Amino acid sequence: MPTPTKGPRLGGGPAHERLILANLATQLFEHRSITTTEAKAKRLRPFAEQLITKAKRGDLANRRRVMQTIRDKSVVHFLFTEIAPAMAEREGGYTRIVKIGPRKGDNAPMAVIQLVLEPLSAKQATVREAEKATAASAPAAEETPEVAVEETDDTAATDAEAPAADAEAGSVAQPDTLPEDGEGKA
Amino acid sequence: MAVPKRKMSRSNTRSRRAQWKASEPTLTTTVERGQVVHARPHQARVVTDSAGTPLYLEYKGRKVKDL
Repeated sequence: MPTPTKGPRLGGGPAHERLILANLATQLFEHRSITTTEAKAKRLRPFAEQLITKAKRGDLANRRRVMQTIRDKSVVHFLFTEIAPAMAEREGGYTRIVKIGPRKGDNAPMAVIQLVLEPLSAKQATVREAEKATAASAPAAEETPEVAVEETDDTAATDAEAPAADAEAGSVAQPDTLPEDGEGKA
Repeated sequence: MAVPKRKMSRSNTRSRRAQWKASEPTLTTTVERGQVVHARPHQARVVTDSAGTPLYLEYKGRKVKDL
């Protein structure tokens, strides 16, 4: 549960802040990723995540509660049918804020806030499976499943780290390969 | 309405303005492929092509935003 906001509201008044947050949340669900100031992004995060939690419950009562803030019916439909199933495995942490530096003009610190739509990493998934397995087999036999779980965890961790490192190296190395191409053409 | 009684001297003006100072930004220093790279901490960085044209913003190996 996020703590209540202290200090001045966004935009100058409580009603204005509610409008700003509702509009930002609507745009976030529509476009999946929006650029705004850091202060607004930080306020938007708990607000949007509560709406996603309601969407994950998915019943009519929760849909009506979401409709109170997001007045665009198509966006609400998209939230309940596309975003909520994508977040089904995730326990919170539905959005990600990345700082992108000051804005030209008023030097305001800007950030990108986006929905975390990627599936859970292999490591997290295996850990969760293992926990389920231990919970299921705990009453039957306590010692043997624990050893198996530890082994799967270790292998999963190494497997998950290796592709991540590869992906990072690939994305960073890409711009450096371009100059060689340019020289070859010239 | 309050108004200044005397003209502000050039000396006083320049003394005041001499106190305007730029603060150093905090930077992280990393070595990438043999080159020392300075960057703002916890902030996305711009990936450019060979001509220096900005392509997109990247943070922790993840594409953040197109430019």
